[in-house]
Amino acid sequence: MSVDRSVARQGITDALPLFVPAIPFGLVIGLAITEAGMNPLAGWSSSWLIFAGAAQLTLITLLGGGVALAAAISTALVVNARHLMYSVALTPAFQRQPRWFRWLGPYLLIDQVFALVTMRPEEDPDRFRTYYLAAGATFWVLWPAVVALGLLIGPVVPDEWNLGFAIPILFIGLLVVGTETWPEVVAALTGAAVTYLVASLPNRTGLLVGSVAGVTAGTIVERLRRG
Amino acid sequence: MGDLAAVVIVGVGTYVMRAVFIVALAKKRIPETVLIALRYVGSAVLAALVVTLLTDAGGNVAIGFPEVAGFLAGGGVAFRTRSQIWTLVAGMVVFWVVRALV
Repeated sequence: MSVDRSVARQGITDALPLFVPAIPFGLVIGLAITEAGMNPLAGWSSSWLIFAGAAQLTLITLLGGGVALAAAISTALVVNARHLMYSVALTPAFQRQPRWFRWLGPYLLIDQVFALVTMRPEEDPDRFRTYYLAAGATFWVLWPAVVALGLLIGPVVPDEWNLGFAIPILFIGLLVVGTETWPEVVAALTGAAVTYLVASLPNRTGLLVGSVAGVTAGTIVERLRRG
Repeated sequence: MGDLAAVVIVGVGTYVMRAVFIVALAKKRIPETVLIALRYVGSAVLAALVVTLLTDAGGNVAIGFPEVAGFLAGGGVAFRTRSQIWTLVAGMVVFWVVRALV
């Protein structure tokens, strides 16, 4: 039990710094709901129904801009397509989990949780589950609260702080800690380089292209090393 | 009503994308080749996400001295301390300072 509690605490401690840059983002989403002239409750519900900031903002902005419903929905889903990669990547880890958690866990599978559990892997299934739930629940509690705050008071964090830049900083930090082998280094560098080359592709599809290229490159290097 | 329906549909779609492989392949034996490839998803996606987050609406990647300095500071501190909070503090402070100077 005491082990569990320290793992849970670690999950929360690791998640909170990742939440800091999400604050201005959540506030902006709250403001976007107001500006889009959406039903505030429907807009706010996106924070726990969709639970993915970029797709929420895409959907809200498009709905407010008078885009056809089907087009807004499909664009938001394309923005979220990266979650398919998270799902496949975590499948081996979830095979060692109880069935209830295989259904509940994916609901909390946001970018930050994926980043934490893949870059700081817990081998023990119980510790993995506790850590995952603690990190995911932290966001699940705080994210809808911040979006609600944005609805009520607007973006109170000044733009000039560029607090959102903390997200790539923290992801770089996790990469530095979690990237240990040469194939992983190649996967990361290729992923970044290809995403950069195709950055003009719409709706974050460049992210998908870059990621697949990175995985392919990492796998090839691994193959070559094995001879 | 239309708004709420759109939110629900995207929400369900997102959950399905997050759950599909985890639930569908729960009892399937995953071939060794696939397992090897899956090990590189984390590094590849995170690096690709970093670039995506720096990309503006026009498809241009906005990265200059302050960003690079922030990455170096954050990356260095992460390597030394493994602490998320110190990575955040170091990266942002260096980013702000360099941005004010250049």
